[in-house]
Amino acid sequence: MEIVLSDITMQFPGTLALDGVTAGFRTDEVHGLIGENGAGKSTLVNILGGSLQPSAGTVQIDGRAVRLASPHDALLQGIAHVSQEGSLVPGLNGAENILLGAEPRVAGAMIRTGALKAEAEALVAKWFPQVRIDLARPVSELPMADRKVIEIVRALRGAARIVILDEPTATLPAREKEQLWGIIRQLPKQGVGVVLISHFLSEIKALSDRITVLRDGRHIRTDPSASMSEHDMVDMMLRRSGGANLRGAAGAAQSTEVVLDVAGWSVGAIEVPQFRLHAGEIVGLIGLTGAGHFGFARSLHNPVGGRCRAMSVAGKPVRPGSVSQMQKAGIALVPDHRMEYALIGEWSVRENLAMVHPSFAGIGGGVLSMQREEAEAQRVMRLLNVKAHSSGQLLKTLSGGNKQKISIGKWLYGAEGRYRVMIFIEPTEGVDIGAKAEIYAEMRRLAASGVGIIIASSDLLEIESVAHRVIPFANQRPGPEIAQSGFSESAFIAAISGVAA
Amino acid sequence: MSDLTPSTTTVSAQSPTGFLRKDLVQRYSTLVVLVLMFAVFTVTVDKFMTPQNLLNIAQQISMLTIVGAGLTFGFAAKEMDLSVGFSVGLAGVLVPLMLVAGVSLPLALLGGLAAGLAIGAVNAALVTLVGIPSLIATLATGSILFGINFLMTGGRAIYGGLPDTYLWLGQGRVAGIPVLAFFMLAAVAIAWFVMERTIFGRYIYAVGGNQKAAELSGVKVRRYKAAALVVCAVFAVMAGTLLAARLGSGQPNAGERYLLDGLATVFIGMTMLRPGTATVLGTFFGALFIGVINNGLNLMGMDTYIQSIVKGVIILVAVAVVSRSTKLNLL
Repeated sequence: MEIVLSDITMQFPGTLALDGVTAGFRTDEVHGLIGENGAGKSTLVNILGGSLQPSAGTVQIDGRAVRLASPHDALLQGIAHVSQEGSLVPGLNGAENILLGAEPRVAGAMIRTGALKAEAEALVAKWFPQVRIDLARPVSELPMADRKVIEIVRALRGAARIVILDEPTATLPAREKEQLWGIIRQLPKQGVGVVLISHFLSEIKALSDRITVLRDGRHIRTDPSASMSEHDMVDMMLRRSGGANLRGAAGAAQSTEVVLDVAGWSVGAIEVPQFRLHAGEIVGLIGLTGAGHFGFARSLHNPVGGRCRAMSVAGKPVRPGSVSQMQKAGIALVPDHRMEYALIGEWSVRENLAMVHPSFAGIGGGVLSMQREEAEAQRVMRLLNVKAHSSGQLLKTLSGGNKQKISIGKWLYGAEGRYRVMIFIEPTEGVDIGAKAEIYAEMRRLAASGVGIIIASSDLLEIESVAHRVIPFANQRPGPEIAQSGFSESAFIAAISGVAA
Repeated sequence: MSDLTPSTTTVSAQSPTGFLRKDLVQRYSTLVVLVLMFAVFTVTVDKFMTPQNLLNIAQQISMLTIVGAGLTFGFAAKEMDLSVGFSVGLAGVLVPLMLVAGVSLPLALLGGLAAGLAIGAVNAALVTLVGIPSLIATLATGSILFGINFLMTGGRAIYGGLPDTYLWLGQGRVAGIPVLAFFMLAAVAIAWFVMERTIFGRYIYAVGGNQKAAELSGVKVRRYKAAALVVCAVFAVMAGTLLAARLGSGQPNAGERYLLDGLATVFIGMTMLRPGTATVLGTFFGALFIGVINNGLNLMGMDTYIQSIVKGVIILVAVAVVSRSTKLNLL
């Protein structure tokens, strides 16, 4: 059996998630699906699994057109989706989870517990005779790999011919991964195809028969895994050459003043032995998803749960504690996912701008002067060229680019010069090209005024056009820094995939 | 943040887009319904549109408005206080008990206020320090307050020997206008000013509007959630203190209806002005809404049970309207 998705386009409000993607999946293969966050992997498998309906395009099974209107529909066609988060009921045991919703019953209401256990055990034995799992224990007490196996067996209990596994090993400790790998490899031999999504390229390479690469919602290539090296994969996932060049004069007007100095920084699994940022410079942090560059950037502003040996901001020693402490020290963060982490959609532009420093318009006793607030909001809106018909417009009605400008403007409202370190994470996600250029210009203006800027981005062209130097991350560690003279997409890709250029 | 400032209204008026026109309808439709209700009752009920009856309505809704104004702080910070009814009830017996025992009026009033602060502090600690969702924590503290109330009173009303000055707070009139109405207006004015014109209010709204964004903007989230719960309790005990003065006695059960009605005022308020957001003015109109219905149905000779049904339906309609426009995440 072969399922072919042809010319699939998925339009979400404001973003084109998939743009004419064609891909085929067979029952005799493990098919690796790779791409950076936002490349369209999840959208594609959600369409395959019936959770999403494409805006355009067709789905065919062995040449016959089908409509997958719901996950139930997809299941009837033999497609099962094992999601990343896990869908087991923690309090129920393995057998109950495997047969959830299809329990053997008496009089249509009471569950026959004995039959349930036997049936579940038979299912496990049929698919994975080598596996030993205690199906009588609550799944919350089982090892992660066993839980995944239970989920997979549940997916197979109907007549599944293709199983979508979304990041199946993401939550697994290293030694349990191998167990699951064995199971994944076994499935095509039993006539069940696997669509495998994983951020671990070595895993994709080791398990897949064929690999499909997506980037920015487009199909880049599908080929046997034997003909693709890990470096090829990273290259295809990230290379955007030929896109708009927004390079400006990245004037290297850096001073020797160190605005941020950290040593022995560790948060979660991320370890950064030493990091220095100078006034006026823009440092790019790059890496694949999960490499630690985003986590490091975020933790500088929100160090809760992290440790460090020493830290100083603008020459003053700081003991990292809370967000407000870091802000007081002079560190600002313009985060990714702005509607989630930075802005309030139901508020006006003016109130959003005043979120960090409402006290600027204070006239004593915590009372606000609306005139002063309005005047300062207007100033910031002019400075950043925000397009809104007034400062009272609700934030949620602005375009992506203007929202992003407000997210930056929060740190300029009533605070020009207060922040010596500004951290930008994915600063132009969902931003149109005109606003992109304006945001880069603003970053350069801030740098020229003596701010040290950190930009963590998955857009390598963006990094190339604004950064003065780049620190590549891999496996939660920073690698050797790349100077501006050595900038090229190939050099970046080589650095983050751990291969010499 | 203010709903009625020229800037926001002119924005909507100037805007040619359908989105904002829809927005405008949404903002003011509940007010239109309120006006229609006034009109219908004026035509159908004889004694409705008389100065005397309008002042009656003001008096009837004043305690409710005060409770609602407090709850607005909680809702704005996305915290619910289900103990307000029992706080009203407790203050409504505690203050009379102190007065009957010979405590001076100012001291008794302060005592009531201190009880409010203590209740608020306990609620706040349970929610922000222990980490219990406010819905559950305040349900439990409400039960405790109810128990304390009945331990103190044995379930019997407290009357006789209440000073005239105290009774005047709840029953007196100045220039024909009930003193209670002044308390209500003062509570609304203060709550409005704090919420709309101070940094404190702005942070309360920020915490409820997007907790993660507030946190990453350096707002001390727990502090403002705690403060909102304290305000809830303090407004409730003020209402309870006035309630006993109005009734002329401390009634152990008198506070109970203020929970459901108080929540209703906030829900109705959330349908207007800034849909989906609790605002002080919205709550005030919500209380007026409930007051007008109660009063009108009363004058029409309707059973109180009918009133209860009508109120329930109105709450459902209000919540339905709100949850259609925004996600209601109260837990």
